[in-house]
Amino acid sequence: MWERLRDWVRERREHLNLFDETLVARQDNPMYLLGPLLYYFWLITVVTGVVLMIWYEPTTAGAYTSIERIQREVPLGWLIRGLHKYAADGVILTIILRIYRMYFLGEYKKPGELSWMLGFLGLILAMISGITGYLLIWNQRAFWAAKTVLTVPVYFDELPVIGRMGFGSMIAYIFLGGPAIGQATITRFYAIHFGISLVLLILIEVFFQRTRRKRINMSLLPIVLFLAMLVVISYILPAESGRRADPTRTPLPILSDWYFLALYQYVKYTPPLWAGLGPGLLIGYGMLVPFLDRSKGRRPLERPFFFVVGVMALLYFLAFTTLILFNIAVIEREPFIIMNLTAVILVLAFLWELRYRRRQRTAAPPPAPAAGGAAGH
Amino acid sequence: MNEASSTRVRRRGFLKLVTAVPVAGALAALASPLLRLLKPNVPKFDLLRPTAPDTARGEAIVAASLSELRNPWDFKYFVFTQRYPQYTPQGFKTASVPGVAVRLPYKIRLPLDWAQAIGKEPPVRESDIIVFSRICPHLGCIYNYVPNYREVTAGYGGYVPPPQRQHALMACPCHLSIYDPADRDVPGRVLSGPAPRPPRTFLFEIRNAEIVVTDVEPGGIA
Repeated sequence: MWERLRDWVRERREHLNLFDETLVARQDNPMYLLGPLLYYFWLITVVTGVVLMIWYEPTTAGAYTSIERIQREVPLGWLIRGLHKYAADGVILTIILRIYRMYFLGEYKKPGELSWMLGFLGLILAMISGITGYLLIWNQRAFWAAKTVLTVPVYFDELPVIGRMGFGSMIAYIFLGGPAIGQATITRFYAIHFGISLVLLILIEVFFQRTRRKRINMSLLPIVLFLAMLVVISYILPAESGRRADPTRTPLPILSDWYFLALYQYVKYTPPLWAGLGPGLLIGYGMLVPFLDRSKGRRPLERPFFFVVGVMALLYFLAFTTLILFNIAVIEREPFIIMNLTAVILVLAFLWELRYRRRQRTAAPPPAPAAGGAAGH
Repeated sequence: MNEASSTRVRRRGFLKLVTAVPVAGALAALASPLLRLLKPNVPKFDLLRPTAPDTARGEAIVAASLSELRNPWDFKYFVFTQRYPQYTPQGFKTASVPGVAVRLPYKIRLPLDWAQAIGKEPPVRESDIIVFSRICPHLGCIYNYVPNYREVTAGYGGYVPPPQRQHALMACPCHLSIYDPADRDVPGRVLSGPAPRPPRTFLFEIRNAEIVVTDVEPGGIA
């Protein structure tokens, strides 16, 4: 058992392909630039982040003012801050696109399971880094985002057996550093925000050192092009500061960063315990997908059920994001419709999968009269 | 030969175990103060105990005067300060609990059953004044008192209250929970949205024509 697990890990580790370093042959396809691009954006984020640390003041009283100062007074401060923000958005965008590519092209199948799981974990860590990062601005959006996000785990204490141990409140308490958002929260978020990126970067460097892979496997043109793009965006659309955090007043409407918007709409629709469990299940599905999907084919239509789930996740992301931008949520009506719709689609997708497999089985010449059939997939 | 090698391997395994146990113990010992560092206000060796809400001490303050709440649906915002024991240089940490005092058009029985749990007897049981904590019991945003119900329909996600509830309501901008402060059975009843319960309430008494709040229902992250 133990031996088998070790062999499993060894084999996957040999085929680890975190930033598409080995896909040299497909450089003409932009979908295969996502790996190196991810690493490139990440480097920009870390470097500019360190520069920002020189000017940033992690206190409740000084944070907002110091950000304003970086934006307006520090020479090229707006550029550094813009690069940091937009490169971080770039990291999240490329990692999401890359995960979708891996999902729809079946790249998570053997021996890619570990690459997929690390990539998915990377997305979660990047989102945590994102939310801890935007509290540091100490504006209204940041304050209320931190508050709502950290109230979600408190509801885990309602779960039957595990809840009694109070881990939910403990999670909230550890992140907040006390019963409410305050100085301790800012300090802890600062540490987490910095720590995630830096620790991961060191681990990745060790990986590159040992495998002698190429770090950014793309030509000079996209490197220059994407940097120029970030500079231009930072100039045209300077990173916002919003209003200084006011703990006694919730703004209306209030929006989070773009990659949390869909989740935000989902939180409106569901009872609070499900606001935490739903994303947890989604993360669980993402991490386990290589083991759930036992089909042989790599093309999307060769595994209809998983294809439909992927398309649905994408559509829901877009639809929920649109709904929240217009602040629409009729809570008496919509969750019911959405739940039923989802159930129907999933059942249909499952039937499609069954039909597809049955067809494949009949199309293939029956191997041995006794053994085939029932077990075949 | 075969037997000897298997004995040797077993001995090596034994030695490994003998080394590993104290090393693991030492690492655990090193890690435990780190955990305590993250969650400082629990007694030593009591890390896994449920995080009981710290017993907070509030300071009684005047929420509003009776003259400010003369007519039905008049309201006044105020901020109540709670002090929690903490390992800070001051020995405590303060948290603000915003509240709203509302004059209702009729008397209701106040939902103050929680008072026994903190060892207090509510001074006022039945009143046309009710004082809510403005912390939304859903995810802790500060909700608003909305004097005109049409504003709830326009700005808070399209909820249209039924005719008997077309009066001032309370609504949260974060996730659009909507409450009825004047419900006769459950004051602060959730009309719409994901909130799991009505907002928490304050204990108050009337002193010299002033509404003095003395305590707030425990629970929820301030």
